[in-house]
Amino acid sequence: MSRVKIRNLHKYFGKNEVLRGMDLDVAEGEVICLIGPSGSGKSTFLRCINSLEQPTDGTVEVDGNLITDKHAKLDKIRENIGMVFQQFNLFPHLTVLKNITMAPMHCKKMPRAEAEAKAMALLESVGLEEKANALPGSLSGGQQQRVAIARALAMDPALMLFDEPTSALDPEMVGDVLEVMRRLANEGMTMIIVTHEMGFAREVASRVVFIDGGVIVEEGPPAQVFGNPQHQRTRAFLEKVL
Amino acid sequence: MSFIELLGESWPRFLSGMGITLELSVISLIIAMFIGLGSCLLNISKLWPLHFISQCYINIIRGTPLLVQTFFIYFGVTKAIGFTMTALQAGIIALSLNAGAYLSEIFRGGIEAVPAGQMEAARSLGLSKSAAMLRVILPQALRIVVPSVANQCIITIKDTSIISVIGLYELTYIGKQIIATTFRSFEVWVMVGVFYFIIIYALTKLSKLLERRISLVQSEDSQSA
Repeated sequence: MSRVKIRNLHKYFGKNEVLRGMDLDVAEGEVICLIGPSGSGKSTFLRCINSLEQPTDGTVEVDGNLITDKHAKLDKIRENIGMVFQQFNLFPHLTVLKNITMAPMHCKKMPRAEAEAKAMALLESVGLEEKANALPGSLSGGQQQRVAIARALAMDPALMLFDEPTSALDPEMVGDVLEVMRRLANEGMTMIIVTHEMGFAREVASRVVFIDGGVIVEEGPPAQVFGNPQHQRTRAFLEKVL
Repeated sequence: MSFIELLGESWPRFLSGMGITLELSVISLIIAMFIGLGSCLLNISKLWPLHFISQCYINIIRGTPLLVQTFFIYFGVTKAIGFTMTALQAGIIALSLNAGAYLSEIFRGGIEAVPAGQMEAARSLGLSKSAAMLRVILPQALRIVVPSVANQCIITIKDTSIISVIGLYELTYIGKQIIATTFRSFEVWVMVGVFYFIIIYALTKLSKLLERRISLVQSEDSQSA
């Protein structure tokens, strides 16, 4: 059964057409890496999946819920879709622990003790249990991003979206974050990742999707897209980044 | 009569004037905070009538002098509706409406200064817009606006002296009265100035303390704890 079903997605910013009709199906447990030049529309595409951007036309279905419907219960659907941002976007006025427990306690009415136990388990899994009572500002970028992943996972999402999760990190921090994502993928999480980490995409992705000019130019298993790209634009892009 | 004797003699009246000034300031500022926050929330609303109401209020207050607003409320409104209010009540209404408009703009600036990613992160977790506002945006915006709010409080405290024109026995009015009987303008205005300075200097210190307390940069020792 497909977790995500995107049909004919169009997005305009003013008169500028950023997405020009994109379709994508993502099956349960798949890890999709979206690659492409900057300005190609891959981040906008990702943000349409949880409706942070409203598509101009087309439909997005996540777990059978039509998120593009006017009457969709957005908040409920979003509980099921975790998102990790390039700039982490941790809540700087709350401790690491409270960053993680806020949504489960507020949206799911989870009792504090249960939410905190869950948060501690998640922090342990990303190797940051000793930072539970620190404020985000005192953490390195890599640590903040790992907390952000834990925060998203605390809602038990069926799908995780990653928007260039390592692009704002110092090089030596990238590995820790990718390691957490790799483990998540191995545990069977359905993930859609916008990334410039070609090595990671090659190793972890079940499918690589190359986007350019607001359309999906080419998609396939990493070995195929990286090893034997079919389109000139894919080849030109890969030559530059590999 | 020496300066000290003058001070000793007029001390009780200064104290009562300072009491009224403080009462007027504190009550007006507390009400103004609520008015300011309410007006700010109307202002950033996507519903245009709400935005319009707030915009009218802010523009009218900013576009007219406090002195005129005070006369309008104390003499104009009471006459039109046909009831009376005390000078203190009129002063509180005028000052809280006045400060509320400026605070509304300060709060709006604070909310807009919180990075857009904060709202996005909160919404992506499933929080409703109002929950995200209450739990994520406002707590950060309030930290941002502390210095500007303190500044507005200082302006409003000084503006209480304008309320003396409707006969409220606050510090400035008391000063004028004492001069009327002693003819010691130089000394009395120095004393009045010193009293205002004490109140405002204390508030400045308090605001700096508050800024440090709610700062999001952890000090070395609290980090290791």
